[in-house]
Amino acid sequence: MKVFDCPVIGPRPISEFDYIGEVRRPPMDADEPTWAAYVFNRQGAPGLLREWWYHRPTGRWYVMERDTLKDEVVRFIDLEEVRYDIPA
Amino acid sequence: MPWRLLKYGLKSSHNEPRFFPEAKPLKSHYDVVIIGGGGHGMACAYYLAKEHGITNVAVLEQGYIGGGNTGRNTTIVRSNYLTPEGVKFYDTSLNLFEDLADDFDLNIFYSTRGHFTLAHTDSAMRTMRWRAEVNKHHGIESEVVDRDFIAKEVPYMDLDCAGTHPVMGALYHAPGAVARHDAVAWGYARGAYNRGVEIHQKTRVTSIRTQGDKVTGVETDRGFISCNKVVSMVAGSTPRITSMLGLETPIEIFPLQACVSEPVKPFMDTIVVSGSLHVYVSQSSRGEMVMGASVDPSVLHSTRSSFNFVEGLTDQMIDLFPFMSRMKVMRQWAGMSDITPDFAPIMGKTPIDGFYLDAGWGTWGFKATPVSGKTMAWTLANDRNHELIEPFRLSRFTDFELVGEKGAASVGH
Amino acid sequence: MTSRLDPQPLEWLDRSETLSFEFEGLAFTGFAGDSISSALLASNQTLLGRSFKYHRPRGAVTLANHDVNALFQSSEEPNIRGDVTPLAAGMSLTACNVNGSLEKDKDQIIGKLSRFLPVGFYYKSFHKPKKLFPMWERVIREKAGLGTIDTRWDARRKAKTYGFCDLLVVGAGASGMQAALTAAEQGLDVVLADENPHIGGSLDYQLANDDSAAPIRTALKQKVQSHANIRVLPGHLACGWYTDHYVPLLGPEGIVKMRARAVISATGVMEQPAVFRNNDLPGVMMASGAQRLVARYAVKPGQRAVVLTANSEGYRAALDMLAAGVEVAAVVDMGKADSRGRWADELKSKNVSVLEGHAVYEAKGKDKLKQVVVAPFDGSACNLKLAREIDADLLLMSVGWAPAAQLLYQAGSRLAYDSTLEQILPQELPSGIFACGRLNGAFTLDQRLADGERAGTEAAAFLKDQPLPAEQTDCRDTEAHSHPWPIVDHPKGKNFVDYDEDLQLKDLVNAAKEGFDNIELMKRFSTVGMGPSQGKHANMNGIRVLAAVTGRTIDQTGSTTARPMFHPVPVQALAGRRFRAERLTAMHQWHLDNGAQMMEAGAWLRPEFYGRQEERAQAILREVQAVRTGLGLIDVSTLGKIEVMGPDAGKLLDGAYTMRMSNIKQDMTRYALMVDESGVIVDDGIAARVAEDRFYVSATTSHADATFRTLSRHIVEWGLDVRLVNRTGTLAAMNLAGPHARKLLAPLTDIDLSEENFPYLGFKEGNLCGVPVRLIRVGFVGELGYEIHLPIESAQLVWNTLMNKGAEYGIRPFGVEAQRVLRLEKGHIIVGQDTDGLTNPFEANMPWAVPLKSKPWFTGKPSLALLKERCQRTLRGFMLPKGYSGELPKECHLLIDSGDIAGRITSIAYSPSLGRYIGLAMVDQPLAGSDRMYQVRVDSGALVPLEPCAIPFYDAEGERQTIDLTEVA
Repeated sequence: MKVFDCPVIGPRPISEFDYIGEVRRPPMDADEPTWAAYVFNRQGAPGLLREWWYHRPTGRWYVMERDTLKDEVVRFIDLEEVRYDIPA
Repeated sequence: MPWRLLKYGLKSSHNEPRFFPEAKPLKSHYDVVIIGGGGHGMACAYYLAKEHGITNVAVLEQGYIGGGNTGRNTTIVRSNYLTPEGVKFYDTSLNLFEDLADDFDLNIFYSTRGHFTLAHTDSAMRTMRWRAEVNKHHGIESEVVDRDFIAKEVPYMDLDCAGTHPVMGALYHAPGAVARHDAVAWGYARGAYNRGVEIHQKTRVTSIRTQGDKVTGVETDRGFISCNKVVSMVAGSTPRITSMLGLETPIEIFPLQACVSEPVKPFMDTIVVSGSLHVYVSQSSRGEMVMGASVDPSVLHSTRSSFNFVEGLTDQMIDLFPFMSRMKVMRQWAGMSDITPDFAPIMGKTPIDGFYLDAGWGTWGFKATPVSGKTMAWTLANDRNHELIEPFRLSRFTDFELVGEKGAASVGH
Repeated sequence: MTSRLDPQPLEWLDRSETLSFEFEGLAFTGFAGDSISSALLASNQTLLGRSFKYHRPRGAVTLANHDVNALFQSSEEPNIRGDVTPLAAGMSLTACNVNGSLEKDKDQIIGKLSRFLPVGFYYKSFHKPKKLFPMWERVIREKAGLGTIDTRWDARRKAKTYGFCDLLVVGAGASGMQAALTAAEQGLDVVLADENPHIGGSLDYQLANDDSAAPIRTALKQKVQSHANIRVLPGHLACGWYTDHYVPLLGPEGIVKMRARAVISATGVMEQPAVFRNNDLPGVMMASGAQRLVARYAVKPGQRAVVLTANSEGYRAALDMLAAGVEVAAVVDMGKADSRGRWADELKSKNVSVLEGHAVYEAKGKDKLKQVVVAPFDGSACNLKLAREIDADLLLMSVGWAPAAQLLYQAGSRLAYDSTLEQILPQELPSGIFACGRLNGAFTLDQRLADGERAGTEAAAFLKDQPLPAEQTDCRDTEAHSHPWPIVDHPKGKNFVDYDEDLQLKDLVNAAKEGFDNIELMKRFSTVGMGPSQGKHANMNGIRVLAAVTGRTIDQTGSTTARPMFHPVPVQALAGRRFRAERLTAMHQWHLDNGAQMMEAGAWLRPEFYGRQEERAQAILREVQAVRTGLGLIDVSTLGKIEVMGPDAGKLLDGAYTMRMSNIKQDMTRYALMVDESGVIVDDGIAARVAEDRFYVSATTSHADATFRTLSRHIVEWGLDVRLVNRTGTLAAMNLAGPHARKLLAPLTDIDLSEENFPYLGFKEGNLCGVPVRLIRVGFVGELGYEIHLPIESAQLVWNTLMNKGAEYGIRPFGVEAQRVLRLEKGHIIVGQDTDGLTNPFEANMPWAVPLKSKPWFTGKPSLALLKERCQRTLRGFMLPKGYSGELPKECHLLIDSGDIAGRITSIAYSPSLGRYIGLAMVDQPLAGSDRMYQVRVDSGALVPLEPCAIPFYDAEGERQTIDLTEVA
């Protein structure tokens, strides 16, 4: 079983996490094809992927950059990096 | 004893013709290049040659014939899908399966077993009725059955499920079958080879060459091939191919795992699936219990096995079949499932002229093998989508016209 | 007569305890410490089983679980592996997979027909004519499988435990023990596991009589067993290697899920058979198998032996046989004896005849070895002109080894063929994986110890993040211990490559010639390596055969993937204890005591209705009527309950839900509908404004956790100043509904319930029965109603008080079923029942919940903007015609329009308020937009008309929500 060496809570098995998938940013004023592509398309090819992982026991979010071919976490992303503003 | 076996015994030497060609050099040009030598690729090659007379075809396989998901699935064939488009498509497939052995002159061990999808909740019961009604409307044998019916057909199952999640009923699909997965690929491959198709194993596509929006050929680790039409039939490797063309798709890859027990004397003739418990099981003609569960929860391009899978699976299995606790798990493995957002495949033409997709097979690729081959061959030959696959076109996502198969989500092998 | 030897120095037996058991109806005895096979062999029962396909007689071969020739059945378990299963008193065993008895197996006839069953025969027959295949399939299934299952067996489960260590060393032979010691000396926390019940590995059977090994053995064992940093786990099988050094160890008490930081595989090598005619006759054994039999179980393997060898180990085995009192008729060396070292010299000094450059051509005998035919061998074939027969009842094979590299392969190592050792060796190991010992090509004891030390040192350096010593010791041998072609053809075949599957040499050759010339294809077509031994004794020769047929090297030929498990693992151990999370509300016991029929709702149990199963319909009706005319109380504690606090709370909810939440007035609530990015409905609930910077949000039972998760993620990605508390488990909730609700509550609470102060959709905090509560004026069931949210510890008190005081108003508890009817009368949807995995709010007929114009943004808005004009179906209300008395439609029955599917019923129930059946249906366009009658197809196939109608069915004006107290008084 995969272990994530988490910077906050130390090594934790993957079974404690919920996987949400690729970190994405909605295009706010997109035309229809761009929006549809955003909603459905994914970076499916193997390689580095930024993903949302939710640690259930502590209720905390992590964004990890993971090599989806080797199943290795390359780094934990500062959550500031995945922020975006929504129109109020 | 069948006559065929008698013949073998009376012959002094074993002079059987080859199933597949020996390795030979690639030609510089083919009319069609099929990427992927699994069941789908071989079936497509077979029907191209047989039904459309297109034989200047190369099937390129990075590993060996049927070594991907064709050889890793749990061999279940059924057509009790939720949507009319799904039902029609898989029913065509099932009908083709029934005649494959004759077609190939090869025994694919196609065996109709009856397929139970257990419902443990009233909402699951509702979904079962929905599926049954859609199936019946399209002439598919499919019905919601109660506990008594199940108890009669699968008397050794604990319908109370050890106290929690008792079985309330099931969707029963009498035509549900199993087939020897390898033989399906081999039969198609042999048939294609005998009709002039070239099969190149251990040949990896490294890029696809285009001019403007048109395919002109493929680069391989054995050199360049020019061609007019390329079809990608690589399931779990689809994103690797589409990314060569910068073609975006909704496909994500999740491992799907399975395992077999040590062989025991066959006692189980039916196929049992529990969507709520996320497990399914049948018994092979070797006596092994073939068992699986739902896809792994996170993206991974790997066929590694996990221990959680086999722990979770066996835990649930004992609730349904207490005696199985005395058996042993012999081997586990995984395949890479190419999953789409609406649990339906992506087939046919793409925005790139001459590039065709047969992908998004999720956990249902094997049962679609014949119909995929047939409809993709037609699509390649006519350069327009076969009517059966039109609902599965890639552009449905841009159009927000998804296929409703997700309504019957959960495990449905 | 017994073959039991005098006590051997390292034997596993406890001779003070004699165990009686039965085999094939005959009485036997053995000692504690015996395996089933060793006890039978000690009693001269050399026929232990029958082969899978041809039902050929089989005996003990490896005594190491590398073959399954000795497979037994008991009334408790199938497929018992006799070679390694400890004998227990009272066992009653039979042979596995025989037709009749082991002695007189009627299926031996299949062996006579083997020439009619070429490789892959089943692919080429039985399918014509098609209609006969089911008959043939029955025959095949009858012959398939090994042991027999009794489906009446009850469930067994073995608890699992977790283990952690720095370094896991798998294999407690010489190199493994040395590696463990070396690492432990460096301060690492080491676990040393071995599948055998005793540590020592081949030191204890192969070098049992080698005097120079004795002091080393004693010292090593003493040191590892007494070292404070080493936990020794004998009897623990490493089932497989999983990601990040997760190695489940199957022990006698169950599985220890060991998480290591690094793993050393010191798993040794598996002896490989020579392939010659009748190499499966009882009496033909691996040399190491015979050594195990002598050293561990003190059983004399035979009277007169021939030893076939291609390495020094064969000479060691011959010496061991002599020591055990076995006459050694000849050592047949496939190569030259002068390279075999000191054991060969020692053997020659004992005047044993050595035939160099010879091989065994054939074994003879019916159910047991009688003669061995040997002949000069040139490396590929025998010269039969010079063949001769030697009488023998024992033939030991010592011709080569295959690495037990399964863990290494699973970890992603690269292995390659070494033509010096004629063995596959580790080439590149992934991070944290190390290998040593014979698996790594170290064969002499000195090499193995040095290699163990090297591996231990490297593992310690890796774990301490220290550089490796510059000088890398190469501990690999320079002599071959395996023959590159231990295979002799025979025109009559029966020279088996795979004992499990009865595969002969010609089967593999023919498979390759038919185009199955890739190792994986060959495996799949011929089934080599697919049996219960998983290729342990078959794969290496299979690769050699394929390489020879195709003219490729071993590396070019490759090998099949080594997947877990190493040995089959019992389901009861894998499953472990049963654990089913079950969530119970604070009133759970009350529900049970009051006759509730419980149903599962996610992990929760909820009352479906109160009353006996037989009077289900009446009970539900009673509950509905109580709510409509008097009072009802339902436990809704399973709803998700989320506290949303902070300056950006409104912004969060605005972004997460379709409707604007930031402008909800203090002490008011609003319907909260959540869609995903594609516009599909995923959840609904109610949001209440508790304070300027504080909201209280509910979610559906099944989606509560996901909603909490989604909100918490939005806080992160939108950079909001909001805190969330998931109060689902700590707060109970109940809905008091019915025209008397206000009247019952008023005297019990300090909250002003007047319409002006606390209107419909209002929210209040205060006290009820002296307990702090939150009240929400809800209308889900369509009556004046108050949802009461309160701490779980006070919930039962309030529930009891309401039930007691409500008696005068005819209060009844009501369950999920009554609630479904009540909400249906109001036309309220249930997410997941009236919607499916693709339903958007327009389809659900809730355009009012999608403020596309007034809100600049919410999750899914662009999708909904796009979907608004593409609505393909709509949720509509319907009624069965007045007075309809035919077959009733059910949920998910299909609407049919001009012969096509045109939708489905999502909800249907009898409405006591209307006296008719009512329901909701998801209706396709254009039917949904018309005012034509619908038709639904019921179970019988008949079409039943449905009258489309507006929703809600009941109290369209919502007057019941403001019903005046005096009116109903």
